[in-house]
Amino acid sequence: MRYYARKLGFYLVALWAALTLNFFIPRMMPGNPVDALLGKLQQRGGQVGPEVRESYEVLLGGNSGEPLWNQYFSYLGNLARGELGIATSAFPAQVTDVIGQSLLWTIGLVGIATLLSFVLGVVLGTVVGWKRGSRLDSLVPATTVLSAVPYFWLALIFVLIFATNLGWFPRHHGYDVALSTGWNFEFISSVIEHGTLPALTIVVSSIGGWLLGMRNMMVSTISEDYILTAQAKGLRNSRIMTRYAARNAVLPSVAGFAISLGFVVSGSIITEQVFSYPGIGSQLLQAVQNSDYALMQGIFLVITVAVLAANLVVDLLYGVIDPRTRVEN
Amino acid sequence: MSLHARWRRGRTAAIGTVTIGLLAAGCGGSSGGSSTDPDTLIVYTGLADDWQRNYNPYSPEEIEGNGSIFEPLFFFNNARQDDPAGLLGTEYEWNEDGTELSITLREGVEWSDGEAFDAEDVAFTFDMIRETPAFNSFGFDGTTEVVDASHVVVSFDVPAYMDAPQLLGKSPIVPEHIWSGIESPETDIIADPVGTGPFLLSDFKPQAFTISSNPNYWDGEPELKNIRYVALSGNQAGADALAAGEIDWQTGPVPDIANFEANHDGYKSITIPMNQMVLATCANPDLGCEGPQTDPAVRQAIFHAIDRETLNSLAFQDTASEISPGFALPDRDAAYVSADLENRTAAMTPDFAQAEEILEGAGYVRGGDGIYAKDGVKVEMSVRVVAGWTDYITAVNTMSEQLTEAGIKLNVSQSSWNEVTDARNSGNFELAIDSLYPGASPDPYYVYYQFFHSQSTKPVGESANPNWARYANPEVDAAIEELAQLNPDDGQDARQPYYDTIQANIEQDMPYIPLMVGGTTSQFNSGKFSGWPTDVNLYAFPAVWSRPDQARVFANLKPAGE
Repeated sequence: MRYYARKLGFYLVALWAALTLNFFIPRMMPGNPVDALLGKLQQRGGQVGPEVRESYEVLLGGNSGEPLWNQYFSYLGNLARGELGIATSAFPAQVTDVIGQSLLWTIGLVGIATLLSFVLGVVLGTVVGWKRGSRLDSLVPATTVLSAVPYFWLALIFVLIFATNLGWFPRHHGYDVALSTGWNFEFISSVIEHGTLPALTIVVSSIGGWLLGMRNMMVSTISEDYILTAQAKGLRNSRIMTRYAARNAVLPSVAGFAISLGFVVSGSIITEQVFSYPGIGSQLLQAVQNSDYALMQGIFLVITVAVLAANLVVDLLYGVIDPRTRVEN
Repeated sequence: MSLHARWRRGRTAAIGTVTIGLLAAGCGGSSGGSSTDPDTLIVYTGLADDWQRNYNPYSPEEIEGNGSIFEPLFFFNNARQDDPAGLLGTEYEWNEDGTELSITLREGVEWSDGEAFDAEDVAFTFDMIRETPAFNSFGFDGTTEVVDASHVVVSFDVPAYMDAPQLLGKSPIVPEHIWSGIESPETDIIADPVGTGPFLLSDFKPQAFTISSNPNYWDGEPELKNIRYVALSGNQAGADALAAGEIDWQTGPVPDIANFEANHDGYKSITIPMNQMVLATCANPDLGCEGPQTDPAVRQAIFHAIDRETLNSLAFQDTASEISPGFALPDRDAAYVSADLENRTAAMTPDFAQAEEILEGAGYVRGGDGIYAKDGVKVEMSVRVVAGWTDYITAVNTMSEQLTEAGIKLNVSQSSWNEVTDARNSGNFELAIDSLYPGASPDPYYVYYQFFHSQSTKPVGESANPNWARYANPEVDAAIEELAQLNPDDGQDARQPYYDTIQANIEQDMPYIPLMVGGTTSQFNSGKFSGWPTDVNLYAFPAVWSRPDQARVFANLKPAGE
């Protein structure tokens, strides 16, 4: 029990540190949200006098010359109440609404793609590692080359081949914009159709890492004595491969998977850019470009909590999979 | 008026600009997905994000509404010297001294919920602007009086001729019976807009929304039935979608613009010179500016040493055009360009001899490294440019090379949009490339008032918006103030002397070094729809993000039909 209590305590401290950084980092950036908003107003033709400026400062609620500490404590208080403030880049929309609108898309696309790439990578890695030295080994350089290709380039090539030239997949958007949104077959199938190509690019570009890691762990695990013992006992090869070798070899990959799961919510900015996919990555980009502190903080908060939560779950799970981690000396 | 910077900002989001451009140029396949109707116009406004529902025509983040759903009283065409066209108003008249504006309204107009439109709505809208600082971007302080259902009089304390285009042309009228119940209009997104305009909101999704023709529009239902606004990730995605025939109208850069019409069957491209590109300088040492550029001689030398022809072809795909050092648009405002100017337009070819003469006349001596210096201080300045704005970056790099030959050194400094804006507004810069945007009507007055009047500036360290140069010249100030007292409708003869004074002064002082007039390029599908603005019939500024101009174009389009 002490193991779990200690873990929880550690995560609480990490959360507080992350929230604090989350507050200060955007404020160290140049520019401010009021200027960004006024810039837009101004380009529509019009003087921006001190009254207009003041009024937006009040509307946006920040930047009123209040001491940083007061802002910090009201920030923590608001967080506790679940209030994230107004997104200045989408004024007067609430940050929670902006995030809510895009979070599901990102989790759907990047989540599925990450899971798929992990499962495929680990399974292939197991097989390749088990049959080391065979022709299957050529999968390793093949997939790592795909990982090494800059992602945007790979994605563009895919768009060129599969969307533009072959016309198999749509080029933009997360769904057919002419359809009405809803839980009907037509809409859902358009979501799947639109998501396939982006998901494919993510899987193709990330599978190499999983495969390589798993394969190498397999190779070193196979040389362990207990594998020899298992073979000497005359166990079936498939059983040795999965229960004896793979179970031990997969541990580092599981840890890595936890971290990448956490980052699912941060989205894949480039994927969303290339495919004009609705998601949180492009919101983050817009927030940064518009000095939208509230939205940045909101998104970072979601990312932080997700990463911490994913790590916590895996930490706890790890204790189950690998009893050694629970032992204290 | 111009959202030039908005699409520029979108550009920073494009990843792998050149590479995608290459792909876009080489593709031709069919579109995969979106079903298209022959009477649905699909537009892309350049916004690099999903839509956040906001149809409040006064909100800085409105996604649509001004012009199409809500209409102003008149339409002022910013693209050419037209008389204002009546929309909800039919005529307006100033009293003798410009303090009383009488407006006659159109009769028989209905809001889209069936209520009648009348003078009370206009009075309500004007009062709301006056009392809501967030909406009152032009310092409107008039009082409104309803004479009868179709007549309104607005009174001012001082002559307010120059407020008319903003008040009459850029202030969409909102329904009193709905908006009077809105507690704080500045934070309301008007999710379901009720207006008098030619279009009504019919469907909203974060990746696309649709507006449809208003069957009860006072000028008859538009022939264009639906307009779908799609969300794409930036200009590059826009150019790709255009190449694939997935959008019908966008305003933004496309690769290989010279051959655009040959490469895109059925599409046309139009380029309108509007934003005057300049090297803004922090020019005024009295307000705290520092650096060699505070000497007018240095600014003049830079002006003469730039090879604008090369700049145009290298950085702007030859879409830019000649600029006048008096900052009246040489084309649209030809009649305003002063005869007193030394150069009617900036020379397209460099004159190094003159640049050197100016510097040497001001006491500068060329050093061993070829760079001029005076009192031990080299003519070396940093020039700010936003990272990712590729055309501006190419432009400053080109200029930096050109100016080295004239003994002037430029150090290019790229940083984020936020950082450049911050430096520019607070005066912590030497040179920065930017553009001066036009005002509410085709009159150079607005550029002068915004960028050259000392009232629009602040000392270095405080936010000056938008007179970044910190320019202050009592003669120019006085002339601008005199202009505000004159009725533009009384003809140009009385006003031109003041324009002459302003232009002669700013040519001499040159707080903004004129580069060229930037072209705003729009591409549209003329095979699917007819009635687009052309160079000879420029009935509105043809930029899809320019409101309310976009609504004039929508109302004028006819589906080619099948």
